[in-house]
Amino acid sequence: MRNRLVVFPVTVVLLLLSLGGSAYAHHGFVSWFDLSHSTTVKGNVTSFDWTNPHTYIYLDVKDEKGNIEKWTAELGAIGMLARAGWRRDTLKPGDEITAIGNPAKDGKPVMHLTKIIFANGQELSSAL
Amino acid sequence: MRNRLIFSAAAVVAMLALSPAPRGQDAAHTGSAPDISGVWLVEKFEPRLFPNGGAPLQPWAEKKLKATNPQTDDPNLACLPEGVPRFMISVPYPMEIFQGLMRVLIIHEGTSVLRQIHMLRQHAKDLDPTYAGDSVGKWEGDTLVVDTIGFNDKTWLDGGALPHTEALHVVERIRRSDHDTLVDEFTIEDPMAYTKPITAKQVYKLKPEWEIHEYVCEQNNKYTYKGK
Repeated sequence: MRNRLVVFPVTVVLLLLSLGGSAYAHHGFVSWFDLSHSTTVKGNVTSFDWTNPHTYIYLDVKDEKGNIEKWTAELGAIGMLARAGWRRDTLKPGDEITAIGNPAKDGKPVMHLTKIIFANGQELSSAL
Repeated sequence: MRNRLIFSAAAVVAMLALSPAPRGQDAAHTGSAPDISGVWLVEKFEPRLFPNGGAPLQPWAEKKLKATNPQTDDPNLACLPEGVPRFMISVPYPMEIFQGLMRVLIIHEGTSVLRQIHMLRQHAKDLDPTYAGDSVGKWEGDTLVVDTIGFNDKTWLDGGALPHTEALHVVERIRRSDHDTLVDEFTIEDPMAYTKPITAKQVYKLKPEWEIHEYVCEQNNKYTYKGK
């Protein structure tokens, strides 16, 4: 079983909030990600691409048997992330984080990230 | 090099500074134009002009819209510019407006595009179709009225894949409704693609502490564009 903590539908209000956020992609992310659902995974960062048009967090997520599933969390562009408090050294390989976002519609282990929770409980949103 | 202008802040400032004042120009008049300069961000991001459907499409355009796959056909996937009016309506990255004597320049953080609004000339003849078209502007009281033609047909009107032809004509009425708010009211006409004009409005909020960031879309673009 995957180490997904929660997968749950969210309300229309949350959907609208998602659309209203600044975590915009250079493509129509509405067509790629299921904004009516949220998914949460906990894992260790293997790489952090601080890049345009998207920033990416790559995560190793272990299930109960120790199997690793490789997740990708897609964020927006550097400029808006910087305004939301992100920096190029916000994450480094080995960091344990919880990633929360909208799952890919095709079921692949990819999400449109809305926020991360660090091991110390501190949270950082991908939107302003 | 793609058909767009990649800018630097220094280049924009230089363009403004180097624009020669025309003979006979009433500097006092242009100097009294309302100030719309600054960094602005859309107040509410809605990528589609018709989120509930109902765009007045001509039959061929309706067919084209239905055949469009937004996962593969969005020009943005190839880092191509949004063009006008999508550039102004459905891109929630900030833009900075510079007001010069000859031109009003808008630089947009997303795709690093420069838009020029020519204040002292009419549309050129035999325009070469471009992504942003040819924009000319004039002040009507507190409102900057911008008329744009000369488009290619390679962009979408919005983030919802609405098509258009080279007959596209966009008129914008831009005004600062209060110190922190800019309003752009659009009239979008393309009788080849739409049965009637489309009207829309976008509201922007001033971001006085912000600067425009570099945005090189080609740096790490993992998407594949299959559109035409």
